[in-house]
Amino acid sequence: MLLNSVIIILREVLEASLLISVLLVFSKQLNLSYRWIVWALVIGFSGAFFYAANISSVSGWFDGVGQELTNALLQQGIFILLLFIIILVVLQFRRKNANTHILTIMMGLIVSLAIIREGSEIFIYLTNFTQAKDLFLIVISGAVIGAGIGCSIGIIVYYLLCNIASRWSLNVGSVLLILIAAGMVSQASLLLIQADWLPSQLPLWDSSDFISEQSVIGQLLYAVIGYEATPTPIQAGLYCGALTLLISLFLLTGKITPKEDNPS
Amino acid sequence: MSKYTFSFVKVLLLLSGLIQISLLRAETPVIKIEIQNHLFFPSEITVPVNTKIKLMIHNLDATSEEFESYELNREKVIMGNQKVIIFIGPLPTGEYPFFGEFYPKTAQGLIIVK
Repeated sequence: MLLNSVIIILREVLEASLLISVLLVFSKQLNLSYRWIVWALVIGFSGAFFYAANISSVSGWFDGVGQELTNALLQQGIFILLLFIIILVVLQFRRKNANTHILTIMMGLIVSLAIIREGSEIFIYLTNFTQAKDLFLIVISGAVIGAGIGCSIGIIVYYLLCNIASRWSLNVGSVLLILIAAGMVSQASLLLIQADWLPSQLPLWDSSDFISEQSVIGQLLYAVIGYEATPTPIQAGLYCGALTLLISLFLLTGKITPKEDNPS
Repeated sequence: MSKYTFSFVKVLLLLSGLIQISLLRAETPVIKIEIQNHLFFPSEITVPVNTKIKLMIHNLDATSEEFESYELNREKVIMGNQKVIIFIGPLPTGEYPFFGEFYPKTAQGLIIVK
């Protein structure tokens, strides 16, 4: 029970933790206020609690696929916000005079949405054990360990990105965000297939013998690039489409924005 | 005029009949699974190859469970005493394990496609 709890919480925390650390690195390098993280965490956790408390009725929406649609909507929201963030961050890196208010609001919103999605599952899981006193302690210990590992990975990524030259950290951070954003599209399409809103198809390939989704590498790749061992053509197509869109916007914004000469 | 109206109604009736037949033919097979004491009943299901299936999962426990399968690419939270539906397939022949993420020690199942 302890190990299971560690794994469940770690899986949920990892993705949000990576996202938060990349956004915090950008905040630091663009000299933005860190205040957004506070309200983002508050909204995220209250939203997650509210979502978890109402999951039964949400599940019943749209002929029983409300849960899939809500989660897909949250992930699409994160994707669209990340798309704007990437453009704004590149603009901001190039000329330091743009309005940063909207940037911090978007960062906060992304983190709120990510926590609502991942946090609600943690709440649902943990409430199972509130009645069982002896088990509750074990499960909570597991949850703390899992959350600790997830946050530590985020902190390591944060310091790694902070300690590479600012020119590189923009690129490395943006690439991470682009991959996470495309992964969101892939996950959302999977949920829409599960809900039968997108047509189901035979998988395009099966790489589970090569990298299993259950393995540690598989889980990490899932969190970073949205790895799937057996994607369907629609899922792979949407993933590639999202990736192409994000990369072209990233490169284009960098190209058309003249770099401001630093007096120093 | 009334002759045309009559034949128009006939065509409409014929069309709606055709649509109904095609809808009936496209009806997705439903398979019912129950969760009780953190176990799946039945825990082994055989489904036809290349067919879309609608799983109807009824959680009879008071605790929530998360239906999860890496092989099927599916995951869905099922609250206590709740029924949910999950669409799976079409799938190539093979064995597709699934499990309850919250109680994986006992909640294990297998979908056999042949």
